[in-house]
Amino acid sequence: MAFLDNSGDIILDAVLTDTGRLRLAQGDGSFKISKFALGDDEINYGLYDKDNANGSAYYDLQVLQTPILEAFSNNSSNLKTKLVSLPRTNLLYMPILKLNENNITEPATAQNDRPTKTFSRQGGQTFVDFTYGGANKSDSKFYVAVDNFTFTQLTRFTSGSAGSATNPNDITIPTVGVLQGYQAGNEGPSGGIIRVDHGLDTNEISTGVGIDADLTENAFIVEMDYRLGRLKEPSSNNLAGVNFIDDDNVATYYVGSGAMINPKGAPSNTNVTNETFTGTADDTTPTELQNIAPQVFDGPRGNTFQFRIQASMELNQSVYLFNQIGQSENADASGNLAGFPTTSSPVSGMKIYYIDSTVRVIGANTGYRLDIPIRFIKIAN
Amino acid sequence: MAKSFKQLLGDDIRNTRTMLHEAIPITGTIASGTYTGATLDENVKKFSHGMFESVYDYPFLSSSANHIFDITYGCSTSVSSSGNTQNAKKLNIYNQMAQILMGYDTGSQIRKFDSDGTLNDGGAGQMDHCFFLNFSRLLTKDEIKKNSFRLQLFTSGGVSGNGSTRGVLQTLGDYRAGTEYRISPAGDYGLIFTSSAGTDTQGNDASVGLLFYQAGIAVLTSSIFQKDFGTPAAVLSDSAGVKGVVAAATGSTIEALADSFRHTIHDVDFNNTIELNSTIYFCRIGHNEFNYSSNPTYISGSRLVVKNQSSDLPHSYITTVGLYSPDNELMAVAKLSEPIKKDPNTELTLRVRLDY
Repeated sequence: MAFLDNSGDIILDAVLTDTGRLRLAQGDGSFKISKFALGDDEINYGLYDKDNANGSAYYDLQVLQTPILEAFSNNSSNLKTKLVSLPRTNLLYMPILKLNENNITEPATAQNDRPTKTFSRQGGQTFVDFTYGGANKSDSKFYVAVDNFTFTQLTRFTSGSAGSATNPNDITIPTVGVLQGYQAGNEGPSGGIIRVDHGLDTNEISTGVGIDADLTENAFIVEMDYRLGRLKEPSSNNLAGVNFIDDDNVATYYVGSGAMINPKGAPSNTNVTNETFTGTADDTTPTELQNIAPQVFDGPRGNTFQFRIQASMELNQSVYLFNQIGQSENADASGNLAGFPTTSSPVSGMKIYYIDSTVRVIGANTGYRLDIPIRFIKIAN
Repeated sequence: MAKSFKQLLGDDIRNTRTMLHEAIPITGTIASGTYTGATLDENVKKFSHGMFESVYDYPFLSSSANHIFDITYGCSTSVSSSGNTQNAKKLNIYNQMAQILMGYDTGSQIRKFDSDGTLNDGGAGQMDHCFFLNFSRLLTKDEIKKNSFRLQLFTSGGVSGNGSTRGVLQTLGDYRAGTEYRISPAGDYGLIFTSSAGTDTQGNDASVGLLFYQAGIAVLTSSIFQKDFGTPAAVLSDSAGVKGVVAAATGSTIEALADSFRHTIHDVDFNNTIELNSTIYFCRIGHNEFNYSSNPTYISGSRLVVKNQSSDLPHSYITTVGLYSPDNELMAVAKLSEPIKKDPNTELTLRVRLDY
């Protein structure tokens, strides 16, 4: 994609997106333009030099010299960051979205305590007749187990007591960050969720101040590859309704209410951070809410958005898509991505299939967006 | 409430239609197939059926080649004869072109080409021997612009050797079409004359062909050619008082006639027309709108990097305009060539035009 010529008059280079062309070709009236938004994808506000000694005319000199790329026709490659309308001009702080990975490090014992962390497994465990010598495994992704077998294998080392097992199948190694990506009868305490919080990421404002009403995000947009997964509520197997699926099979969900927003109540704005999990399932008192809702913001907190991902039936039933757009490795290979042992492994001779993708969460009003890395994983022959 | 979308109102959307024109020059060396130098006719594709040949702008076997036009020849039933070479194919070509371009008379008979546009079959101006130049849609686009077609043609002499025996260069054109054209089943057509005065070389007020604008087809009578008319290899002279082109019409194949015609072309020029239907979206940005950004670099520790204190005016920089469906699906995108600063002291209207 070339740069636009910026040597003369300001020009506007307009193009239909691939989705726009698709809707136009469908001829069913789905091509309708009713609103607009403005973006500043190319702008790096870090170049804004408000301390420039030459005066205010030089503050944004570098910003204004930013060359602009031609328009992409791929709809998901444009307007990644939108401009926001707020009638007030006196704002000094704006809230953001942040992945909440805080605080829950203990093995899951209650549904309210389903881990929000990305994948990690503790290695180097010694048992009665067996030493799991692998190093600690961690990844900056959430692992979505696409079927029951995979989930069982990934989490079978997660409960029990070290030092007592004699069979590798009974080994117990803490594992977090594995989502139950299939239609399970019981989502269970260790099914895993993804939690995104909205708030002010600063310690310059007390949490007690709270977020102003006009800055509160009360609706979220989720985009994910529909070939791979579906959006699911955090505490049930209910799938969210899809708003539309674009030409690249990216599904868009608009979540304005329901079980995904503040499922355990609004986050506490008491000025505490990094609370310790108490193991209490009762979540009705403010203190317990704090305990089961570990915070990522030192400043005022808005709503939380919590969800799970269910793998598509294609991933659940076959390895076709894994072979087409994913990768694989031997499940007992040294350093394998799931942290399985290389000897006496219950998945010896099997393969780990995986597809790396991204789930995008966007504040429907504030426009802030967060890309969350996801790995769909399947263990099979 | 913070918002990142703004509704377009009825007054913000306008439809318009624009005619764009491009100049299309085709030099004679492309038509004659001599421009590549080493090998003749590399850019001319011939077919085993022998009913027409195609001229490309480049050796046609190359994937870079673009189709420019086709040439063929046809004759009407009035002059056909079973003894003529490829008589059936010449007749079929004529009838095919006539039924598409001229249509049928009230008796459901195919109407013949009529150089004066009077549609009186059998009367003056009926063209029985015709050369057809079918221009590619790549060049003509929606239609040929009226009164822009000019065809420079050598109307006498053979093309053997280096072609120096060619003569009587005439510039044919639809000179009067700016103010006078006719309607056919295939759209508008104009008359082709040999000069802007509308007269032939003998001073007669007579057209020598028809130009169908939307179809992109020029129909020329073979009567335009005088004396010799032939391929580079064999000159057909006007021995025994017979015009070369008449002799060729009866004794030569369509391919040979097309070859000969190609070598008489000196130059072709016309303007095409592209009909652009546009929707214009006026994106009106008020003074209190879009002054903040969700760009991650816009804040540091949730604090705006463009402000020192809360009383400073916020501002943002616009680089992109996105047009969305009611479902927030991005339908079109427009990029500014340089960032525009937006603050509460400014109001903007960005005019985004989508062409169809």
